[in-house]
Amino acid sequence: MTDEAKQMIEYILKRIRKPTLVIDEDTPLVSSGLVDSMALGEVMLTLEDLTNTRIPPGAVKPKDMDTVAKMFATAQRVGKPRK
Amino acid sequence: MVRYNNLVEALEAAPGERPFVTAWVNEDEQETVTFADFRRRARLQAGVLGASGVHSGDRVIIIMPQGIPAMTVFVGAMKLGAVPAFIAYPNDKVEPSKYRFGVAGVTANLNAKVVAIDEAFPDEMLEYVALGANTKLLRAGEGKSTSEEEEFRQTTNEGDGVAFIQHSAGTTGLQKGVALTHSAVLRQLEHLAEALKIDSTTDRIYSWLPLYHDMGLIACFMLPMAYHIPLVMQSPLDWVIHPETMLQVISEHKCTLAWLPNFAFQFVPRRTRLNRRAQYDLSSVRALINCSEPVRTSSIQEFQNAFAAIGLKAGALQSSYAMAENVFAVTQSAIDRLSGPSQIWADGRQFRNSHRIVRVAEGSTGSVCFTSSGPLLPNHEIRIVADSGVPLGEGSAGEILIKSDCLFNGYYNRADLTAKAIVDGWYHTGDLGFFAGDELYVVGRKKDLIIVGGENLYPQDIEEVAASHSAVHDGRVVAMGLYNPDLGTEEIVIVAEVESEGLLANAAEIEREIRGKVTAALGVSAGTIFLKPPKWIVKSTAGKPARSATFEKLQKEHPELNVE
Repeated sequence: MTDEAKQMIEYILKRIRKPTLVIDEDTPLVSSGLVDSMALGEVMLTLEDLTNTRIPPGAVKPKDMDTVAKMFATAQRVGKPRK
Repeated sequence: MVRYNNLVEALEAAPGERPFVTAWVNEDEQETVTFADFRRRARLQAGVLGASGVHSGDRVIIIMPQGIPAMTVFVGAMKLGAVPAFIAYPNDKVEPSKYRFGVAGVTANLNAKVVAIDEAFPDEMLEYVALGANTKLLRAGEGKSTSEEEEFRQTTNEGDGVAFIQHSAGTTGLQKGVALTHSAVLRQLEHLAEALKIDSTTDRIYSWLPLYHDMGLIACFMLPMAYHIPLVMQSPLDWVIHPETMLQVISEHKCTLAWLPNFAFQFVPRRTRLNRRAQYDLSSVRALINCSEPVRTSSIQEFQNAFAAIGLKAGALQSSYAMAENVFAVTQSAIDRLSGPSQIWADGRQFRNSHRIVRVAEGSTGSVCFTSSGPLLPNHEIRIVADSGVPLGEGSAGEILIKSDCLFNGYYNRADLTAKAIVDGWYHTGDLGFFAGDELYVVGRKKDLIIVGGENLYPQDIEEVAASHSAVHDGRVVAMGLYNPDLGTEEIVIVAEVESEGLLANAAEIEREIRGKVTAALGVSAGTIFLKPPKWIVKSTAGKPARSATFEKLQKEHPELNVE
């Protein structure tokens, strides 16, 4: 697991206030209801920071953010380098 | 405003070359249709619907993603004199079985002729929109052919005919169809345009609001359509993932008006990085109207503080009280007042225990602050009444009853519900509020109040405390009052979803901790706490836990609760 993925997991656990929960890169987050759509906006900002990209609105659906692995794959697929 | 006979006539009168809807996806991807384009596409959809056997008076249910195609099908149906209704598009998280329950409930009640879906409607969901023998499934919204365009005969209903049905908030299967006539909608729009001092040559509306809710349908579709105002719209899902885009769209398109539920006034500033704010410009905004949830002073303040530096004018943040049953708005705050909506500070204990509004100095210990939803629209009357039905004076909060010239005639096919809701011409909103000066303050919901030993409690407060337990899934708590005949008063019942099913092994400990938290925070004890596995609580279409539907489910699983 990359450092960025670890940081993302840490961030998500903090955000959902479940520091003791164990999740890995493939734990479903959105479909399981752990991360609701209201929290996705913050997760998106963190993903952009960690990958130093800008992810265009409209290019991502909640299912693209379902696991930490999918988030990074999405950033790689649609993210644009920051100006 | 020229008086039109119906909404389609109002659309026909729009200047053809003026932009109507811009569907905004991102800075590189957006589609704009002019009023003339929109009319042409709506005619095409009328032809498609007509070819499927839709006639005047038939109901047409539209399950399509937010966008121009869905809107043209809606107007296409109205052109035939049919009665369209939007319902929510399935999202990834909806369990198909629940979705089916919702769709089946709505279509059965409306006895729809056609359910219109988009070309991309997921095949795996199709079996779940299986409908009655008389309902056809139709893929609509696209189509370039002009042959069909000529084949329908415009038979739009006149003023007193039903224009469309909008569903009032509720859990999907229990939504009530609010049938609205063209005249009622046009009168509402006229009041709204006057209160907002609409100028169609300079105004531009921004919206991410779903079309199946009144704010999205009336303020951000019917108003711009009938008053010829350009609208820039994005999908609710795109917005919630990128809340900052609201600032981007308003800046790019110099939008002047928008409606937002209260939470968005905190949501957007908290999800926009400080170093990115400076690239936006909100100086074009005349009014951002806080509507559809109780207005919180702190939320408005947070938005104002965050964006004053990028041009947000003092007084641009406004408020309104609205509901589907009145087409939309009942009140609208005074749009020119620089200080924004009025506020009142009142004694918290007197308010909770006797619903009395005793004014105290701003910020006093134990005080509560209420933000006004503004004065009534023209031809609107309001009564504040006690549980007994006795009218209350200015110093007391009670149920809000309304009478107006745009009130609905009834819930579609539900004379039973209509008779309960409209009594002697007064619509019983179930909302609690008080009147002060000439302004309405909405403070909560009547039916959600829990009364324990004479102490009034709002379930939201209990839910917030219970939800703070680390084993409880964020926000998935429902609290309610249940009469306990042994005690002669209500007991607090809490239903909470745990994070994962495994945690139920520690149920006793978790219950103990939740109970301790509630007592510590509110000074009352919870009666029974039910811990349930994930996804047990019934959610409303807005995604929030639905108290009454959850309670019904609880009663089914725990018949011992049925004491009354």
